[in-house]
Amino acid sequence: MAFDRVARRRWKSHLFAGLTLLCVVAALIPLTSIVWTAFDRGAPALSVGFFTQPLPAPCGSAQTHCSYGGVGPYIEGTLVLIALSSLIAIPIGVLIGIYLSEYGRRGIGRVISFFTDVLTGVPSIVVGIFVYTLTLDYILKTGGNPENVYSALSGATALAIIMLPIVARTTEEALRAVPDSVREAALALGIPKHRTTLRIVLTAALPAVLTGALLGVMRVGGEAAPLLFTAFNNPLGYTGVTQPAGALPTMIYNLYQTPYANWQADAWASALVLVLIMVILSVASQIVFTRVRRRISGGQ
Amino acid sequence: MGIAPNVGMNPFPGEDAGVPAGPPPHSPVPQLEATPRRERIGRWFNSIFRLLVTVLGFGILALAALFIIVLAQGAWPSLLKFGPNFLSTSTWDPVHSIFGVVPFVIGTLLTSAIALLIAVPVSLGVAIFLTEQSPTWLSGPLGLVVQLLAAVPSVVYGFWGFIVLVPYMRLSVEPGLQGSVGKVPGLGGVFGGTPVGTDILTSSVILAIMIIPTISSVCRDSLLAVPRHQREAALSLGATKWETTNFAVLRYASSGIIGAIILGLGRALGETMAVTMTIGNADVIPKSLFSQGQTIASLIANEFTSAGPGSIYQGAIIEAALVLFAITILVNVIARLLVGRVLRVEGGS
Amino acid sequence: MSGTTPNGAPPGASDLPQEMKGRQQSSSKMAYMAVIAVVVIVVIIVLAGWQLGWFKSNSSTPATASCPAPVSLTGAGSTFVFPLMYQWYTTYTGSTVNYESVGSGTGISDISAKTVDFGASDAPLTPAQKTNASGILQMPESAGAVAIIFNLPNVNFAAGKSLNVNGSVLAQIFLGTIMNWNNTPLQTLNPGLTLPIDPISVQHRSDGSGTTYAFTQFLSSASTQWATQVGYSTTVNWPVGTGDKGSSGIAGAVETTQYSIAYVDLNYALNNEIHFAAVENPTGAFILPSVNDTASAIADSKDSTNLPLGTGNWSGVDVENAPGAKDYPIATFTYLMFYQNPYAAYGSSYTLQKAENLVNFLNWTIHAGQSYSEGLYYVTLPSSVVAADVVTLDSMNYNGAAIPQAACG
Repeated sequence: MAFDRVARRRWKSHLFAGLTLLCVVAALIPLTSIVWTAFDRGAPALSVGFFTQPLPAPCGSAQTHCSYGGVGPYIEGTLVLIALSSLIAIPIGVLIGIYLSEYGRRGIGRVISFFTDVLTGVPSIVVGIFVYTLTLDYILKTGGNPENVYSALSGATALAIIMLPIVARTTEEALRAVPDSVREAALALGIPKHRTTLRIVLTAALPAVLTGALLGVMRVGGEAAPLLFTAFNNPLGYTGVTQPAGALPTMIYNLYQTPYANWQADAWASALVLVLIMVILSVASQIVFTRVRRRISGGQ
Repeated sequence: MGIAPNVGMNPFPGEDAGVPAGPPPHSPVPQLEATPRRERIGRWFNSIFRLLVTVLGFGILALAALFIIVLAQGAWPSLLKFGPNFLSTSTWDPVHSIFGVVPFVIGTLLTSAIALLIAVPVSLGVAIFLTEQSPTWLSGPLGLVVQLLAAVPSVVYGFWGFIVLVPYMRLSVEPGLQGSVGKVPGLGGVFGGTPVGTDILTSSVILAIMIIPTISSVCRDSLLAVPRHQREAALSLGATKWETTNFAVLRYASSGIIGAIILGLGRALGETMAVTMTIGNADVIPKSLFSQGQTIASLIANEFTSAGPGSIYQGAIIEAALVLFAITILVNVIARLLVGRVLRVEGGS
Repeated sequence: MSGTTPNGAPPGASDLPQEMKGRQQSSSKMAYMAVIAVVVIVVIIVLAGWQLGWFKSNSSTPATASCPAPVSLTGAGSTFVFPLMYQWYTTYTGSTVNYESVGSGTGISDISAKTVDFGASDAPLTPAQKTNASGILQMPESAGAVAIIFNLPNVNFAAGKSLNVNGSVLAQIFLGTIMNWNNTPLQTLNPGLTLPIDPISVQHRSDGSGTTYAFTQFLSSASTQWATQVGYSTTVNWPVGTGDKGSSGIAGAVETTQYSIAYVDLNYALNNEIHFAAVENPTGAFILPSVNDTASAIADSKDSTNLPLGTGNWSGVDVENAPGAKDYPIATFTYLMFYQNPYAAYGSSYTLQKAENLVNFLNWTIHAGQSYSEGLYYVTLPSSVVAADVVTLDSMNYNGAAIPQAACG
């Protein structure tokens, strides 16, 4: 009898292990399909010229020879927008996460944490409209030129606003996962709270904080809708913080909607490039991270 | 962090995660031993830092308030004209200027709920596999690959959904569901209608795919943060691996799991492009899972750029955004209560 | 008027003697006197007018005016016109143009808020939108047609033939009163075909679109029930059907959905070689759309010779259902919008040089720019419309003074 029960429990455990594996497979099917679709449809555009040539003229069924290209400046624009928005959102987001986890665990801190969650649910297009409205209001009040409403900076601001709550909440969760005993031990040694938080708790939670930051970067790296109202477009990519900027997602969005085969292939190939950029960013940040970590533990 | 080779994934530098990491090596305690001056500076820094993070924290409230103000300003023409009727009208007619938000509220809630129903078990499964089951050499790269799903731009999800997922749903999944589950008495209505592929169910599936990486990677980090002694204690009591995970690990990580689910929910509620491409965009109350519908976010994506400035029409669209804000608040409250209870019950059983 | 008078006057005068000679020989002396008198009078009027500044706007039109240094211009709006616009601004060298295809409504918002130099929209400004942006001008810069596309598996059409439809049947299909392909009114229009019994899957645009505007305008004039129940706009409250985003969404949905029907801009259908239906025109002929038949339809339509001024109300302009025997009935304009007096609209920071850049670019799009239309399957503007556009551009001024125009790029 007892043996039976043990066998059943063991069997249940195996079944469960199988189910989790199934979940992984289920999650990988769409990714494979998306990458394959993008590769399949973008293949004609994938060549050296795709990165070096300007966007070619649209090529309809009336034309016989179609050329491809134009992704270069938009890669630059996207990288700059990601960098600018990360510079704004990651430090602020992490500090807010610290507040929520270390200083605001009850009372108003809970309310702030709650509204951070609410902000993650604001559609990105609404964030774009929001930044556009505020920037325009500000320009009109200060007597500036309304045409300055479109800039890389306002695009980055919109992206940062999308990123901020994601970074803040993941940081909060990451810090809360650090056992209280760690904080108590440090405080008992007479280390001031801010040092405990920054040097010990944050260091311990750093991998998870990085996950949050990367999730935020990945989320905004693919956003087109808010950029339509803020960064606008720029065939030259990035030409200055106060100038409009082009970005890959808006390029993909614009080209895909047109009826021209070469532009549609360009759109798919650009999607592939965008995913690749994200992979590189993830891996690179991981390498930097482990190196920093090794240096810290190397001093032991 | 999923991308880490497994060694780097343990948030605690020490091998035994249960024991606190102790002060990092480069801040040896004696250095901090208080001289009065040092102590004063320390206290000063302490309050400055506290002030800084508190101010930034309150910045979130300011941001939320600013959102409401800006949206209310934009929605003003519509707020004035329709008042509370906006919330109870189910007609959306730009030609005759009759606007009501009911169909979109239902579409939003329905798609997000179904997306969570699909995504939460799968994401938990992924997170558990990565932390508890997978061989160590595999979990790092696999975590990266799953997280890549978050790197796919939502526009691309939309295109892919439209050309790959929609036909698949129409030709295989939906007739299959209709022929099996749809035959169960009482469920016929839920799976009723002609499957066309662009409908509530398909957009829910694509939302689920989009939020799986968010939920699973945040969940995985919470599971990783569970101290090892927690697992060892359960195993030493003779628990199987599943029992250990269920009783010792998931319960311990429940706060992080709730956080992950709510993050995913936020994304589902606010996603525009992918939903727009797959939901069928009909401004009506969906009758079944195979009906066309519209979420508030897809409504905004579809119609904001065609509504003229300052019109009642534009006002109504922005008011819909305001309603979405309210829904997000409401849904967050409910989700916190609900998920908290479910996990507590599961953990306590 | 002002655009043609100075050039028109001399030929008019030289025509006159030939006409006179053809008449009686005896009065030839008097005729010569009259001709000389007329010529003298015309010359005096022209010279006086020149002096008084009557022809100020076109006195600067000749290519003798020099091109200003290029500046950067921004435009936003219509996604439909984006490929043509792209072709234009990459070809044109007189200015650097940065155009973002955000959608027609946002194009109107942007030009109203003065965040761009020009907006582009597939639907004209409503009177309310016009009041909202005082001093705004609009002019057609291209035209399009709406094709009816469908997916009827196993129905074989004779060469050069297609499904026949008309406004009334289309209205009933999109109202949901004709639900099956072999329904009598539809079958009657297609005597040679065996249409299936299957239900019609109606597809329509979900996003606001000029194509929807033109199509629903066509349905409104064909069916009073449509006009009262639904009406016409860039987005309407569709009684039936599935909404797909963008032309690409529509085309994809029809391609993969059997027994479906939809409307899409002709440009999209032609570029992707999608099969479309023949639509009955007012003469009772069933016409398959083409770029040239649409251009001739617009030229034939009663409104095309009677277009409003750039400052006028275009929301009632209807170039559909032209009377010609070969004219395709569902045609539409797409518009550019800009300010008559950029100085007054944007303030003193808007330089005359920039205003010159703007007017030169706009001028180029309706002249040289039109030659790129056909290759991309856009409809070339008929000359009557170009003439109306020239009047609109000539009416632009910079703080009251005419803006010098030059052919640049």
